[in-house]
Amino acid sequence: MNQTLFLIPLFPLIGFLLNGLFLGRLNKKLISLIACGSVGLSFIVGLKMFFQLISLPENTRAIEEILFTWIPSGEFVVSFGYLFDPLSAIMVLVVSGVGFLIHVYSVGYMHDDPGYGRYFTYLNLFIFAMLTLVLANNYLLMFVGWEGVGLCSYLLIGFWFEKKSASDAGKKAFIVNRIGDFGFILGLFIIFWNVRSLDYNEVFVRAPEVFALGGGLITAATLLLFLGATGKSAQIPLYVWLPDAMEGPTPVSALIHAATMVTAGVYMIARSNVLFMLAPSTMTVVAIVGIATALLAATIALAQNDIKRVLAYSTISQLGYMFTACGVAAFAAGIFHLMTHAFFKALLFLGSGSVIHALAGQQDMRYMGGLKRHMKTTYVTFFIATLAIAGIPGLSGFFSKDEILWKAFSSNQGSIWIWLVALFTALMTAFYMFRLVFLTFYGQERMDHHTKEHLHESPKMMTVPLSILAVLSIIGGYVGIPHILGGGNQFEKFLEPVMKGVHHGGEEHALASSGHSAGTELTLMFGSVALILVSIYLSYYLYVKNVALVGRLRNSVSGIHKIIYGKFFIDELYNAIIIRPLVGGSLFLWKIVDVVLIDGVLNGLAILIGDVSLGARKMQSGQLRRYATVFLAGVVIIIGYFALR
Amino acid sequence: MLQYLALASILFAIGIFGVLTRRNTIGILMSLELMFNAVNINLVTFNKYIGPDNLTGQIFATFVIVVAAAEAVVGLAIVLLLYRNWRGIEVDRINLMKW
Amino acid sequence: MTDQNWSILIPEIFLFIWALFIFGLDLGIKRKNPKILGYSAMAGLTITGILLAIFNGGILFKGMFQSDQLAIFFKVIFIGSAFMAVGSSFDIASEKIRHHRGEYYGLILFSTVGMMFLSSASELITLYIGMELTTIPLYVLAAFYKDDKLSVEAGLKYLIVGAFSSAILLYGLSLLYGLTGTTDIVTMKINLSLVFLSYGKIGPGLILAMIMVIAGIGFKLALVPFHMWAPDVYQGAPTPITAFLSVGSKAAGVVAFARIFVNGLIAFASDVMKPLDWGIIVAILAAAAMILGNITALRQRNIKRMLAYSSIAQIGYVMVGMVAASELGIASVGYYMFIYLFANMGAFTIATIFNDKTGSDGIISYSGLSKTSPIFAAYMSIFLLSLAGIPPLGGFAAKYLVFAAGIQAGYTWLVIVALLTSVVSLYYYANIIKTMYFSAEEPTIKIHPSFPANLVLLISVIGIILFGIFPGPILDWALESAKIFAF
Repeated sequence: MNQTLFLIPLFPLIGFLLNGLFLGRLNKKLISLIACGSVGLSFIVGLKMFFQLISLPENTRAIEEILFTWIPSGEFVVSFGYLFDPLSAIMVLVVSGVGFLIHVYSVGYMHDDPGYGRYFTYLNLFIFAMLTLVLANNYLLMFVGWEGVGLCSYLLIGFWFEKKSASDAGKKAFIVNRIGDFGFILGLFIIFWNVRSLDYNEVFVRAPEVFALGGGLITAATLLLFLGATGKSAQIPLYVWLPDAMEGPTPVSALIHAATMVTAGVYMIARSNVLFMLAPSTMTVVAIVGIATALLAATIALAQNDIKRVLAYSTISQLGYMFTACGVAAFAAGIFHLMTHAFFKALLFLGSGSVIHALAGQQDMRYMGGLKRHMKTTYVTFFIATLAIAGIPGLSGFFSKDEILWKAFSSNQGSIWIWLVALFTALMTAFYMFRLVFLTFYGQERMDHHTKEHLHESPKMMTVPLSILAVLSIIGGYVGIPHILGGGNQFEKFLEPVMKGVHHGGEEHALASSGHSAGTELTLMFGSVALILVSIYLSYYLYVKNVALVGRLRNSVSGIHKIIYGKFFIDELYNAIIIRPLVGGSLFLWKIVDVVLIDGVLNGLAILIGDVSLGARKMQSGQLRRYATVFLAGVVIIIGYFALR
Repeated sequence: MLQYLALASILFAIGIFGVLTRRNTIGILMSLELMFNAVNINLVTFNKYIGPDNLTGQIFATFVIVVAAAEAVVGLAIVLLLYRNWRGIEVDRINLMKW
Repeated sequence: MTDQNWSILIPEIFLFIWALFIFGLDLGIKRKNPKILGYSAMAGLTITGILLAIFNGGILFKGMFQSDQLAIFFKVIFIGSAFMAVGSSFDIASEKIRHHRGEYYGLILFSTVGMMFLSSASELITLYIGMELTTIPLYVLAAFYKDDKLSVEAGLKYLIVGAFSSAILLYGLSLLYGLTGTTDIVTMKINLSLVFLSYGKIGPGLILAMIMVIAGIGFKLALVPFHMWAPDVYQGAPTPITAFLSVGSKAAGVVAFARIFVNGLIAFASDVMKPLDWGIIVAILAAAAMILGNITALRQRNIKRMLAYSSIAQIGYVMVGMVAASELGIASVGYYMFIYLFANMGAFTIATIFNDKTGSDGIISYSGLSKTSPIFAAYMSIFLLSLAGIPPLGGFAAKYLVFAAGIQAGYTWLVIVALLTSVVSLYYYANIIKTMYFSAEEPTIKIHPSFPANLVLLISVIGIILFGIFPGPILDWALESAKIFAF
């Protein structure tokens, strides 16, 4: 066989080594060429492999390359190999494709940064680690990639380490992630000691024989794996690092903290679908945590003023969606949303980067506004992405989000309550995303005069990736048109060979689900779209119309009309009934739950350990005789232990 | 046999007590010698009762004496260094490094 | 099998003579060429390694001296750590210890000979002599800066606590001898089993002996609560000696522990004996070591002290594999020590070089090192990340194996403690990396190490990465060496 699979992660590795070894000795052109080129080559090889994969018959769609035996000892055999099946194919294409675009964008964005070479070195290392994560053919190698992306994320969040907040954020991300990793590796231990292997092929074949359905062992193992996923994918209770991670450069937020790394948890769970299907109680936990995270994060996003923080909470919320999908056994829908989300969220972040770039680093939306006139491309692409995330029919986000909503409603593991919460979250998503758009691109320019004069559209290096992503955000959903709309849901069928844990009836299944009543599905779909439109209008009313009204009021003091009064009254009413409770609740969640409770517990733990450390140091008094006494005391205590047995 | 073992353990305990309470470094070294000698009494006693033909215990004791002597030599050399650097050999004063 | 296979002693005899030769050479060359002593010590160690490859396998003196796979495996670690300690000493040899270079290198070699004897000992007297031959030269070496108060203090503390523990160990050994009537470890095991079979229990004398032996070896391992000497001695002793102490001397303790407990007192670890198991007590000590070592290391400002606490914690991880007392357990311990050799020697070598240039051991003075000496900062990061157990470096595979062995043996709680504390440990390792890379201060120091130090660093980095990605060869060898114990 021609072995080409290993080339995919190899190119970014070479790029990392070249840029890393000759750090500070290459000029910027060469650095960008190496960095972008290596990721581009990975994408091309990935594409080639993808077509090779498609040409295979459906049931044998998996290409495995074992490079060498990694740890070969007794029963402890782990090979170092790559597996290219439909699931990893999608992930590879997303990672290298979106990664490539973001690399190109970064060339423009980071142009004047003194750490240019270092930046691309880290970025290439990240791509390498991420590709290793998704291509691994066993859990241990996946864990290697898992830790690798964590390290890169730490390095890149703290990229501007001169800022204390940035280096603190990096540390926070690293430590929170380690808590998750701890769960992950414990889960692996449980799997290994029962299945005696960590290879996907073997684990998934043998797991149903080894573990009892719903047994304690498999539940514990999957819960631990899920703990790992909550760390990496920023779910309750470990989501706190992601908003802080916005201290990194914006393309990094786009690549790592929106499109790729944070989805690793979803990928891991989808990959382990066989195991998770064996543990129904874990599935329930996954679904509930997912939906709760989606709701909580969306509520918090309503009250944020920092453009990147809104997007960060939105990412957490969307990840919650993906976990909800996994939790109701709709793994394919989760991966589908993962893919479309990668497109539009990367676009949103890059767009916001473009805005921040134009405003010379300003991230506060209260000092933006009216940018529509100054930045055409950014505005158009950003608007498309917003439509996509809001779930407007015809754009990618609609298909994937609707798929999740429908599965939450119709699946055996789903329930109407999950559906209701998910729908409510979708409405809030539309609301706050449009609030973001209106505050940023519409209305008065609220920035100071100096900045306003320097408003400019970003260079081509940045706008071209934006445009490509915009196209993808539109068409990305058409690979998975649901049956009900006349599509074949190609996406789900493509993933079917990987989802061995889910019982498929092929076409029968499709009929059965439409048999759940096609009418219901259509009603729900249109109903939710209508509600989303209302939500968008509400946002428009409050953040565009209201602002204008307020402006006119200020100008014409004499023009006091009943209608205006009336409108104002309604405004106040809205404010009192909807906005204030929501904002209040959201402030509460943010200030109390997020900052005080969760951050407090984590920081408190850190401080406590630090204090214990100070105390432990004091034991070391420097007195020699004390040392001998402790030594003897140790002996005596152990003797006492045995004497008292 | 028990008498010998009791003697050894008492000697050992005195040695430990000395190490823990003496302030003078030389005193500590002497207490350590006591501990080693307690061990020697043990070894020789056991050897006598296990089998007089087999000299393992005796040989062990001889080696212990040699090693203890070597240790004492190094110990006294370090005491000399102590005196040169601190102008005194009280262990309690020697605590530059702590925490 | 011939009982008088003298040739297996050749590596030890050669190294001993070579050490004497270096003493003589120092008188002969009159300090004209300061480097020649160091290079000849390195050459001697290399030749010993080659001799070891040629003359091995066999027993001598009625089984008192065994050259089995376990011994060979650990001898390689000892020789490696001595080689690296010598290699990183060139700068201090030309500065601080100008007048005693011969003794310095010679004593390192003597200590190495002691470790080699220790690892081959299958009998208590040989074991004890080997241990003392290891330690006594180290007392001298720790106090080698004769006019440096810190160094003398380190020597004193090491000596007093060392002799104290050695006396306790000896008392334990004498009891073992008295109760089993033999000093041969295998015969001891048989006699113990007989006693146990005929009386159905083990008397208090034996438990006392066991505890005393744990304490004695615990001193060498710096296992909590027998660790108090370690931070002070590590801080005060010349840095290459600290490195040698933390790797070579510890590995010697590990092999002694394995010989006595896993081989001789294995009867204690059976299920029948569960309440009187040495495993549980060592497991508790290991947990204490991991907790105390890692937590105390958090707030250290001196890099040598921090590494001292870190190595207290590391030995806790090693003991996780040890208490498993299985083939995988011993093999994982061997593998762990092998990786630890590279990572710890490397980290200490950097501390040595840094101290030579700046005279400082403060962590804060590493600020911005990545800007002036990017390669060293990268090396240091690799060593620290390996110690923290980040894949794909060697430390990860090592920790993974040790934990796997622990789980397999049923010590799940211990592995959970180990995992939690390794999360804590990441904080202080990452802190140094953060200081080197993410510090806004303008650094002024640029490091130019000597050629041998560079060599040591290069070997360490390659070892960590290579054996991290391909643990196969070392692990196979370690498994092979673990086969000498009958489980």
